[in-house]
Amino acid sequence: MQIITTDIIVVGGGGAGLRAAIAAAETRPDARISLLSKVYPMRSHTVAAEGGAAAVTLAEDSLDAHFQDTVAGSDWLADQLVVEHFVKAAYQELVQLEHWGCPWSRKADGSIQVRRFGGMKTERTWFAADKTGFHILHTLFQTSMKYPAIRRLDEFFVLDLLVSEQQVLGVLALQLNSGELFQILAPKVILATGGAGRLFHYNTNGGIVTGDGMALAYRHGVALRDMEFVQYHPTGLPGSGILITEAARGEGGILLNKDGYRYLQDYGLGPETPLGQPQNKYMELGPRDKLSQAFWQQQQAGLTADYQGHAVVYLDLRHLGVQKLAERLPFICELSRSYVNIDPVQQPIPIRPAVHYTMGGILTELQGETSISGLYAVGECASVGLHGANRLGSNSLTELLVFGKAAGEHAAQSLPPMPRSQSTAATEQAQTQQRRLASLFGGKQQQSIASLRKAMTLAMEQGCGIYRDEQGMQQCRTTLVSLQQQLAGLKVSDHSKVFNAELIQYLELSFGLEVALTLCESALARKESRGAHQRLDPGLTQRNDQDFLQHTLAYRAADGRVALRYQPVRITCLPPAARVYGAAAKQGA
Amino acid sequence: MPDSAGARRPYLQPLSRSWWLKHSFFLRYMLREATVLPLLFFCGCLLAGLYSLSQGESQYQSWLAFMAQPWVIALNALVLLASLYHAKTFFELFPRVMPLLPAPLMIAGQWLGTLLVALFLLWLFGAIG
Amino acid sequence: MEKTIIIQRYNPEQDQAPSAKRYQVPFDHSTSVLDALLYIQQQLDPTLAFRWSCRMAICGSCGVMVNKIPKLGCKTFLRDYPAELTISALDHFPIEKDLISDMAVFLDHLQAVKPYLINDSQNTEPHRQTPAQLKKYQKFSSCINCGLCYAACPQFGLNPEFLGPAAIVTAQRYNLDSRDQGKAQRMPQLNGKNGVWACTFVGFCADVCPKQLDPAAAVNQGKVASATDMLISIFKP
Repeated sequence: MQIITTDIIVVGGGGAGLRAAIAAAETRPDARISLLSKVYPMRSHTVAAEGGAAAVTLAEDSLDAHFQDTVAGSDWLADQLVVEHFVKAAYQELVQLEHWGCPWSRKADGSIQVRRFGGMKTERTWFAADKTGFHILHTLFQTSMKYPAIRRLDEFFVLDLLVSEQQVLGVLALQLNSGELFQILAPKVILATGGAGRLFHYNTNGGIVTGDGMALAYRHGVALRDMEFVQYHPTGLPGSGILITEAARGEGGILLNKDGYRYLQDYGLGPETPLGQPQNKYMELGPRDKLSQAFWQQQQAGLTADYQGHAVVYLDLRHLGVQKLAERLPFICELSRSYVNIDPVQQPIPIRPAVHYTMGGILTELQGETSISGLYAVGECASVGLHGANRLGSNSLTELLVFGKAAGEHAAQSLPPMPRSQSTAATEQAQTQQRRLASLFGGKQQQSIASLRKAMTLAMEQGCGIYRDEQGMQQCRTTLVSLQQQLAGLKVSDHSKVFNAELIQYLELSFGLEVALTLCESALARKESRGAHQRLDPGLTQRNDQDFLQHTLAYRAADGRVALRYQPVRITCLPPAARVYGAAAKQGA
Repeated sequence: MPDSAGARRPYLQPLSRSWWLKHSFFLRYMLREATVLPLLFFCGCLLAGLYSLSQGESQYQSWLAFMAQPWVIALNALVLLASLYHAKTFFELFPRVMPLLPAPLMIAGQWLGTLLVALFLLWLFGAIG
Repeated sequence: MEKTIIIQRYNPEQDQAPSAKRYQVPFDHSTSVLDALLYIQQQLDPTLAFRWSCRMAICGSCGVMVNKIPKLGCKTFLRDYPAELTISALDHFPIEKDLISDMAVFLDHLQAVKPYLINDSQNTEPHRQTPAQLKKYQKFSSCINCGLCYAACPQFGLNPEFLGPAAIVTAQRYNLDSRDQGKAQRMPQLNGKNGVWACTFVGFCADVCPKQLDPAAAVNQGKVASATDMLISIFKP
């Protein structure tokens, strides 16, 4: 086992991790920053974000409006202090990215162009055509090459955090191309490992989005907060789940059921807005949870169409015309032609909801600090408190930047003067893990890891999908526990060291099952409907602020089971109110 | 990247001498590069012609006789074909390097230019009009 | 319906060189090469190693040779091939295992061209950049770093020190950006013997680029820039 000592470890090379690494390098150019990632950083899933990043930009917009949209969008489960901080810092972060070269789309006069997005009162979403995440990721990745302090460790898979007496000591990682173990020691570790969308069968996420970082922290006693809130994106391609950006609706795309009817007007999002005149917070520009739920209702009513065995509705972009599609949504056209063989210029695109984002994650403070000293979490793996029960589209790319920077700076500023070069506690822990790793190998197996994984994703889809009920979730929990036991009995049959895919899938599944259980348990215990968590059980179909205006905290109990606690929601200035869109919002205002 | 011991043993297939036979695209590329060979022959002819001029009439006459041999004419026909092929590839590549106008327009412009120059030279040497 | 997938397998812990293995894979109209590889790994042989993630042609992980042509596995469909197709690791990179190649050399080349905006301005507001100025470099900013162009480039195959198409595309991307002032710092790399002049305009990189951003054009536009730069430096006192 090799030992590396360094000052700051960033785990994950997506938007949040890169932003944190750069912030740390700018704060302490003399520090040694190790950027670990299980893939080359530019493969990280930030790359697939399409629509844009939100910040108050137009003169007629205000921080208050962004704050209110975000809090209402969260169904009042967002931490209002965090949201205040976020909306204030957002603009400067997008400008910073502009200064690093991000090719933001422009108006004719050369100023920044902003577009409409669901749940937002006015246009405030910066975008780079329909490849915003791609451009943000590559801008950050390429900018990170400027800093000699940042040392990349590409294709390193973190097996465990090294922790002693509630102080982080570093990480234990596997170098994928050699199979060698590395003890990497640092007083600061920033987790930026992304979400856990791959727990579900239909999802828009890349294969690497397996919830690793959440499980790493959870196993060391850090709480996972609000895990029951999982965002279904209303427009994924059938089968693959490939994302068709919300910007398609922001630009004027409409949703139709099998009869060509704009069904959203039947679900509190109307009245119907005229074709080609999308209006913020109405119809197709309602929030994602409401739109995905409307799909489910249509499916129950038998009003969805069939595309190769998948229930679908249609996203119609034809009226936008060839030129606008080519300029604003080129990637969407390319995806649609390649993966469903449909040219959006000629035909509507079949779509269906798919899991997109995990609102919950590792409980952190404003600067990303967790309950373990020296351990931070940022981005989708974290729950800093921005999204509550439902995330608004285009808030998360900005989140990566705002909180990535905060964590990187905080970690760099609070570096102890002399890092430890050796630690017996760390070595002991690493050796235990090494033995555990060795014990995972065995002979040829009856069952495959792939089959267990599939069983997990189907169970989650069934039990913890768009609508949930007690019985379904209990069944899901039973399945998950059984799968955990089956996995524990399973051995890895491939004994090779170099790029052992089976081993990595085993480890990812064991992380994933742990995270899935926290999700299921948190959902079972939340006996109300709020945001993305919608229950069908009688009496639980409404929001219940009396009992559940609270965050769920999932801890790992000594026996490995999930222990739940609750945390009050911080409300600074916007008291809970009914969450309404469309014409109803106007009446309320 | 830290050194890693043991199991890692990257395999690098060296590029074989015949790499350009592997794919028709590479073959076309080599053909383009090979157009220089017939051109070399043509240049040799031209230089020999010039030299023979300086050596007096009889030398020049025997050069003309040499040029009139069927195999020399055949080779020079090949030179023409090769040059045209090279011109075609060049004209198609040029708009990508200097994207001044839409590519089809630039390609057509270059062919037109070639044609005009050719006509001018033919006129100059009295072959036409 | 089934097709035969022949994969060049290489396990550095056992094999001296890659060797072919055949698999039968069911397919329908939407089955991609990546789907086929996942099927093999999940159903037939869990030891098969390959990279993938986004499965929507944007992360750049799944580049492989399909019938000797560099392709993104997720954007190449079995329906377009005859009954048999051969898949191997990207040409010109060292093979770590099966379909996984070592991309380190590419990342080194990328870093060498200073792929970031160089500009000292301390302004706290965004630069102005008109859509026309954006358009000048926009295409070249769409490189997904998949490495297909390197696998298509015989010059890179002959000389791995050659910066190669994608790195030069990225250099051009920044050189053409109206906000950038770093061209002078990038030119020495581009002018050098492993820079733009090592390219002989084979042009295959442009054919295989999954984002159609014509790296060959970028490299050869780089030659124009390089020649101008060298001429200027001759006449400068």
